[in-house]
Amino acid sequence: MTPRARAAFITGFLLPATTLYAVFVVMPVVQAFAFSLYRWRGISANRTFIGLENFRHLFADPIVWMALRHNLLLFVGTSTAILVVSLALAHAIGSDSRAARLLRSVYLFPQVISLVVVAILWMFILNPSFGILNAALKAVGLERWAIAWLGEKPTALASIGVAHVWHALGFYIMLFAAALRTIPPDVIEAATLDGAMGLTRLRYVTLPLLWAVLRIALVYMAIGTMNIFSLVFLMTQGGPDRATEVMLTYLYEQAFKHSEFGYATALAVVNFVLVMALSGAILALFRHNPQEGKA
Amino acid sequence: MKRTTYALLVTSAALAVVAVVSCGRQPSTASKELEVACFKGGYGIDFFEQAAREYEQSHPGVKIKVWGNPRVWEQLRPRFVAGNPPDLTYPGWGMDHWALVYEGQVIPLDEYLDSPPYGKAEGKWRDTFEPSLLELCQYQGKTYMLPYFFSMLGWWYNKEMFEQNGWKPPRTWSELLELCEKIKAKGIAPITYQGIYPAYAVSGFLIPWAISAGGIEAFDNAQNLVPGAWKSPAFLKAAQMMDELRRRGYFQEGANGMDHTGAQMEFLSGRAAMIPCGTWLHSEMRNVMPKGFRMGFMLPPILDDGKGDPTAVGIGIEPWMVPTKGKNRDVAIDFYKYMTSLEKAKQFVEAKGTLMSIRGSDAANFPEHLKEPVDVFRNAKTVWSVEYRQWYPKLGKAVEDATAALLAGDITPQQFVERLEQAAEATRQDKNIPKHTYTRGKAR
Repeated sequence: MTPRARAAFITGFLLPATTLYAVFVVMPVVQAFAFSLYRWRGISANRTFIGLENFRHLFADPIVWMALRHNLLLFVGTSTAILVVSLALAHAIGSDSRAARLLRSVYLFPQVISLVVVAILWMFILNPSFGILNAALKAVGLERWAIAWLGEKPTALASIGVAHVWHALGFYIMLFAAALRTIPPDVIEAATLDGAMGLTRLRYVTLPLLWAVLRIALVYMAIGTMNIFSLVFLMTQGGPDRATEVMLTYLYEQAFKHSEFGYATALAVVNFVLVMALSGAILALFRHNPQEGKA
Repeated sequence: MKRTTYALLVTSAALAVVAVVSCGRQPSTASKELEVACFKGGYGIDFFEQAAREYEQSHPGVKIKVWGNPRVWEQLRPRFVAGNPPDLTYPGWGMDHWALVYEGQVIPLDEYLDSPPYGKAEGKWRDTFEPSLLELCQYQGKTYMLPYFFSMLGWWYNKEMFEQNGWKPPRTWSELLELCEKIKAKGIAPITYQGIYPAYAVSGFLIPWAISAGGIEAFDNAQNLVPGAWKSPAFLKAAQMMDELRRRGYFQEGANGMDHTGAQMEFLSGRAAMIPCGTWLHSEMRNVMPKGFRMGFMLPPILDDGKGDPTAVGIGIEPWMVPTKGKNRDVAIDFYKYMTSLEKAKQFVEAKGTLMSIRGSDAANFPEHLKEPVDVFRNAKTVWSVEYRQWYPKLGKAVEDATAALLAGDITPQQFVERLEQAAEATRQDKNIPKHTYTRGKAR
């Protein structure tokens, strides 16, 4: 094949996907940037150009900052939990015990069920009257701990975090389990012979070899928590008293409840930039594997 | 997958617009084809479809397409933006109705309201509606929406439980406190509420008690954004009453973490004796209602020495409207006249078990659970409706957030009313928000 024919061949394959992406992803994003400069109720074609007014308003809006803090708290909290639990479970399902086989057949289950179902399931678990969590707490004598998890300011966000972790876990177990399989057994064996066991082996051998996957996993977690919507919307509506408000629930409120489509698009633009920045920061921070070149 | 979802979310508004612009360019079909888009809620759309078939039969050449779903407002928004709306619509509670009015997307209907009702040569269509409901549809002296059925707001109690224990529905605050103590002593939660959606507590506790304490003016002034009205002694009193019930432990524990179905299930299962809710409760929960469950309706108990009218009742409408860019305005209005004829109104009451905005339709046979609400409405000398939530959605949200905080015990009644007044002040100062004024008994 001549280089030219080869180029045509490749273009032919890329064109449909690129076109679809351009029309349905790139174009709306560009349009969103334009809409964010208008005051627009989103219910007629009338729009008033107001320049950067929406953005000025946005940076002075305390609820935006509150929502952003909740997103970041969710990111830090859930990614720590996901990393620890999914690494442990990914390691565990690598063995050949009966428990590991069972785990292998179920771990992806929460990931494949719809988020709506996840929300309802957790609302049942956390139900203050008949939920199993409070029933369990009462059964072991911790009556005082049996509270309205989603209705109390201090616990509502954490409860949503738990549901998010439960849902997301399967994906990361899969990711890490696959990555663990790529570590040659002789490396582990050599490390073991050198006396590296348990946490030491994890820190100096396993984690460095998983570095690239960890980096990508963190980016995914950042995107997942910055764009969290369904769970919050279904479980708490951003309440009580905005204790679980996140960027996208606030965006939805502005657009559909308050008919502030211009402002909502400005929020979308800011969220977009923040996700890009956060992902970029993670990629940059974790560019260099600390163990590389040490050996 | 995640990235695609993300991109779609980020630009959902824009995308929806792009998607329908193309639909908007389709040529309009036969001139006598009517499109009616309806919210498909608890009462379904089958009644409207049936009315359409009947109308088609008596009007050869007219074709009516009735469609709807539970989130119809999401589809209607882009249709309005693209300038291709249906001819007649009932967009449902999720639509920002007044935004449609401000943007000139729906027509004023007074000219038609002054014409004769369906099939009549004289009289005014306007006079067939319950006037207090028609009033809610007006802005700057013009009528932009039309009511159909309406709901009443109040409290429901477990009839069986009350009868077995010899309890009577409390009419006053002191009776309520006395009864709650007895209920609590039985190990039952006296009152539960839909904590995740604080709008129920606002219309079930806050507003009726503010009206009881300060008279209907206290609420009218608040809705009209009169400075200081939201932190008036009447609202403070109402907040103190809510706070007292909480401190005494008369609200079900954990109700602040329950959604509407969760709290309503607590009521149906007998774990709570009373719940604030509208007259839709029965049809909303009928699939999960224990066999033979009987519920009674009452007005929220009033202050013993309250200033307000003890018969005052809260109602809510879900209006219909005629889009400016609809293609068959006259047929749409005539069809809606048909739907609001006394005969159809009575049929709706019997088929769906709800109250109708058409005068005289309450002569129809009501199901058992609606007999008490109908009596309450017939006796009511004052009718109120939560309008500020539609007029000023941001104020509505702020009131609900503060209510959640009050009921959780996070803020004091004094802090609560300060927050309400602050939100009202923000609305007053925002020159981009069109203001409404409601004068009782007159066209606005």
